[in-house]
Amino acid sequence: MATHPDPYDLLKSIIHLSNSSIPIEAKLDGMLQTISNAFGSDRCLLLRPSEIVENGFLSHLASEKKPVWVDEEASFQGEKVLLEEEDLICPSFACIPLYDEASFQAILYIGFSKNRRFSSQETDLILLIAKEMEGAIRNAMAYYETSKMPQEHEKRVKQLSTLWELNKALLATVNFERIVHMTLTAITIGDGLGFNRAMLFMVNEKRRTLEGTLAVGPDNAGEAGRIWSTLSQRKGNLSDLITQIEFSSETNSMLNSIVKGIQIPLEQEECILSKTVLEARPFNMRFPYSEVGIDSYREGWLQIHCERGCSLGSEVGCYVSEHLSHDPKVYSFATVPLWGKGKVIGVILVDNLYNQNPITDEDIQFLTMFTNQAGLAIENSLLYRNLEEVHRELKETQAYLLHQEKMAALGELSTNIAHEIKNPLVSIGGFARRLDRIIQDESQEKRYTETIIKEVSRLEKILDDIHNYTRDESFAFKELDLQHILEDSLSMVSEGVQGEGIQLVKEFAEELPKVRGDYHQLKQAFSNLISNAYQAMDGKGKLSIRIHPISKDGSPFIRVEVEDTGKGIDPENLHNIFNPFYSTKEAHLGLGLPTVHKIIISHHGQIEVDNRPGEGVTFIITLPATEERSNKF
Amino acid sequence: MKRIMIVDDEENIRFLYKEELEEEGFAVECAKNGREALDKLSLFKPDLITLDIKMPEMDGIETLKRIREIERHLPIIICTAYGEYKQDITTWASDAYVVKCADLTELKTMIRKLLGLL
Repeated sequence: MATHPDPYDLLKSIIHLSNSSIPIEAKLDGMLQTISNAFGSDRCLLLRPSEIVENGFLSHLASEKKPVWVDEEASFQGEKVLLEEEDLICPSFACIPLYDEASFQAILYIGFSKNRRFSSQETDLILLIAKEMEGAIRNAMAYYETSKMPQEHEKRVKQLSTLWELNKALLATVNFERIVHMTLTAITIGDGLGFNRAMLFMVNEKRRTLEGTLAVGPDNAGEAGRIWSTLSQRKGNLSDLITQIEFSSETNSMLNSIVKGIQIPLEQEECILSKTVLEARPFNMRFPYSEVGIDSYREGWLQIHCERGCSLGSEVGCYVSEHLSHDPKVYSFATVPLWGKGKVIGVILVDNLYNQNPITDEDIQFLTMFTNQAGLAIENSLLYRNLEEVHRELKETQAYLLHQEKMAALGELSTNIAHEIKNPLVSIGGFARRLDRIIQDESQEKRYTETIIKEVSRLEKILDDIHNYTRDESFAFKELDLQHILEDSLSMVSEGVQGEGIQLVKEFAEELPKVRGDYHQLKQAFSNLISNAYQAMDGKGKLSIRIHPISKDGSPFIRVEVEDTGKGIDPENLHNIFNPFYSTKEAHLGLGLPTVHKIIISHHGQIEVDNRPGEGVTFIITLPATEERSNKF
Repeated sequence: MKRIMIVDDEENIRFLYKEELEEEGFAVECAKNGREALDKLSLFKPDLITLDIKMPEMDGIETLKRIREIERHLPIIICTAYGEYKQDITTWASDAYVVKCADLTELKTMIRKLLGLL
């Protein structure tokens, strides 16, 4: 039954409701009820935008912004009434669109099954009520917005302080391994970005591949649970947590070993990791896909052949497929490019395998913010590492060059000095010899002259050694018979040495190929070796010389072995025996062996030592031979 | 009696060689540089010359060349502290090369060999 409400009472109720602190939905319901009671309408509704069908008369009404009054006097002007809207067309009804500023909120609908007339007072009243409703809605929205704000702010503040903590941690070191490890830890730790697992792949420019570098994350759900419960009990701020994490335990995880073995060519565009690098943007993916057409991603997101035939195509993906088959829920993962000074240097892949949390765009944003910083830190550490290496190389080269210069200068100095010293020595020795011839054998003075002569010889020998070692290598290479050289060396040495107690054993092979070399130099080398051998044996022992041909890698060589039965070389000095000017014998300059070494090397040969302390030493010389064999004709 | 000319810039070396060689029965004349050697050449008419390499003004090689221009077949022994110049010298046809030593046996043997006295 239509009633004509008292405007004052009606408005009082509506305003009372409007100012109450009940929730907006209840508020609006209350108002609708009040209107319905006051006017005696059959239906009183608030139609929201979601309930209004497009292209119908209601939506037309909403865009027109004008209320519609249908009663005895004003009939409904047709227009497009849709099927869904037909039951709204009553004998009398009113539709008032409600707005918040310019934004459409709802349509207030009051319907009467019986005919009725809206007086102008009543239309004014209803319009007033509509205004009040608009106000209530606006207030509710404003309240909602502002109440959300502190929450939003708190979230932002927490994000920023997390970022700050993370960056503080990154500043703690320049070491590449530590920074990478801290980055991934920060991404997976609860107080950080809170993902379940994080994996880093670095770009290898030279090979144009992506190489798995590090992975952080539990190997299974059980471990995940354990790690998180331990971490949640730890106190301390985030940067401390991250910097203090022991990364030795992490490097043994299975996930880590698998990721470290992954290598993906950058040109493999189907692989999402390569795509991330090539297109330099993040990707946010979800399995299983409900949409058609993105299925192709499922097949090859890592595009590496997995031995177990996993449909996701990789060992990393294998974990996922195993989980999915046991517990087919949603698997979401995301990739972000790692930027370092203007280009993409890597990719970070994160997922929420264990807690199945979806990855939101906001998560990606936050992750990107962090990885941009991390990328710079990583690039810096790489540059630092390069710098360290280059620096070390430079220092080494510098030391080497300095050494070479010293050696060259020393060489020149030695030659000049030796030359200057030689002439006086010739005088001293020469005249001492003249005296020696005059002086009687048994006299005291005999010893004096003999001493002078001997010492002069010693000095001459030293000068000869220096000269031989430091002179320029302009030698004449000819084809030579090593047997002859050794025979000549033997006779040269045994002249000045008391060799009675020494047994000589010669094993010269029947047919020997020739050797290309300088006669004098090789004679010098073998003389030095033989002379050393005699000295080591100190008058008693066995000297063995063996020559035979050998073949190495298809090429012919000659091997000479000079073996003595002296007391051997002190193992402590063994590595220094070819070092010039290093000497263990008193006042002997020790150039014999270095000279031998130099000569053999310049003949493209090799010299080895078989040292048996207490028993003797064998020097093994290998020289390249010419192809033809020497004939004995 | 065979005549030997010693060319060396060191006085002690000249003295030593002269004493030793005169004792062996040779007639010895000394020159302290290449210039003097050339000057004394026609006057002394040596049967053999010992020549040092490192000398001031005209060095041994130069002296050798000059002497060879005058005396094609005169035996010349290069007598020097070290063997750097072996290659050069053989081109210029000296007859022998001896490294200076306190023990003059090698030098004396060479002299005798070249004079055909062995």
